[in-house]
Amino acid sequence: MSENTPILTTNNINIWYDQFHAIKNISISYLPNSITAIIGPSGCGKSTYLRCLNRIHEEVPGARATGEVIYNGQNILDPNVDPVLIRRNIGMVFQKPNPFPAMSIFDNVIIGLKLQGVKQKSKLKEVVETCLKKAALWDEVKDILQRPGTSLSGGQQQRLCIARTLAVNPKIVLMDEPTSALDPIATGKIEELMQDLKKEYTVIIVTHNMQQAARISDYTSFFVLGDLIEHGTSSQIFTNPKEQKTEDYISGRFG
Amino acid sequence: MNYYKVQKLKSHLFIACLYCSAAFVLAPLIMVIVFLFYKGASSLNLDFFMNLPKPVGETGGGMKHAIIGTFYMVGLGSLIAVPLGIVCGIFLAEYGKGKIPNCLRMASDLLTGVPSIVIGIFAYTLIVVPLKGFSALAGGVALSLIILPIVIRSTEEILKLIPGHIREAGLALGLPRWKVIYFIIVKGNLPNIFTGVILAISRAAGETAPLLFTAFGNMYLSYSLTGPMASLPVQIYNYAISPFEDWQRQAWAGAFVLIILVLGLNIVSRLIVNRKQLFNKK
Repeated sequence: MSENTPILTTNNINIWYDQFHAIKNISISYLPNSITAIIGPSGCGKSTYLRCLNRIHEEVPGARATGEVIYNGQNILDPNVDPVLIRRNIGMVFQKPNPFPAMSIFDNVIIGLKLQGVKQKSKLKEVVETCLKKAALWDEVKDILQRPGTSLSGGQQQRLCIARTLAVNPKIVLMDEPTSALDPIATGKIEELMQDLKKEYTVIIVTHNMQQAARISDYTSFFVLGDLIEHGTSSQIFTNPKEQKTEDYISGRFG
Repeated sequence: MNYYKVQKLKSHLFIACLYCSAAFVLAPLIMVIVFLFYKGASSLNLDFFMNLPKPVGETGGGMKHAIIGTFYMVGLGSLIAVPLGIVCGIFLAEYGKGKIPNCLRMASDLLTGVPSIVIGIFAYTLIVVPLKGFSALAGGVALSLIILPIVIRSTEEILKLIPGHIREAGLALGLPRWKVIYFIIVKGNLPNIFTGVILAISRAAGETAPLLFTAFGNMYLSYSLTGPMASLPVQIYNYAISPFEDWQRQAWAGAFVLIILVLGLNIVSRLIVNRKQLFNKK
């Protein structure tokens, strides 16, 4: 796959919650090894859109999506496609740090692989170390791997969740406001870590924080009330937006 | 009196009310335990646990058969009700919307409210009549009907406390739903689920009515599934209404043992939860 072939493409995505039309006709392409930020005022459908990219939106009763999400030449919204296999390639990090209860740090990282049937101890150990290193958590927890995951601080828990997501070896990582429950220092660590993630993964992140979007992302999409107002490189969106609404929003006059 | 003093007085009054209500709730429990200890502990000795009843007229003897019978039938009831109850509870918590779950939920609520004597009659017609005799099996089934709804609802309530994003996090790892439910949701909360189970079992251990005409009672030690079997509550009942002073004394001792058993189970379930909290705080 060359650098300029999109790894993920959405065509005319529409999402409804029962009668409510939450996402309207959105088409975006994502290049491999890029970070794309999705910004917009509360309730604009950012999370809804992100959640349909690995079909986790189906967890909400009454939600349905039309259109195409093309990954690997396949429309993953097709009901014949098994969402379980899709999610192994398209992982997700959530807003609240959510390590699994009653599981050690070690088990939290490898649970995905373990339940997929990988039993080899040496392999699992290796995965724990590489993933915790990628999530910039290894140095802090390497001596306490058997402690419960919930005993860590919020920021550490979120990095543990990132390590857990990386352990099943996805190609794309979706992040739904991963730092909104964290303090600025923990946020800074995660932002730093995302620059490393970019080398191996494609990241799509929803964020409330425009400075964060400007700092970390290569591309930015601006959503308002389910419509895509503007999509472009972050430097263009934040310095020279084409749309009046985008300019109003990023300069704080609207939203 | 100035405004501040009035407010302070009101606050003290309110707190006094809270303490009073707490005392009203605690007093009966403490009185029951103290009274049973006073009446029963004196007749409690090793014989009580190790021996069978002596014939009328001879003093001494014990309730070994009833203690074993209680464990036997409560165990039988748990064996039937606990796995079924946990599975139903998981079903309600994870797939709890729709007609069938709502029916199940209502049924288990109604079952909780059914008087235990009615459950006894039900087990009587279901098992005692066709088998033409009182049996430990019938007693176990009756107790299982006491345990079942409590286990179902406590399991459901506990699993419902787990936020939805934990389930989504499991699914987002590319795991099938049943693995997420079994390995992450249920396994991660086993101690809490067991707390509900232990409370349900301790409730069943103290029941007399469902056993009166199912297991009936027995003055001899029996391990037979199809024969009548003694149990602590029924034995206490029979001894307490007997005219013999020695038996009445033993009824007190039995009551004391029973309440210690139930209290012990409750305390164990608390300890399990507390231990888990300690573990998490570390």
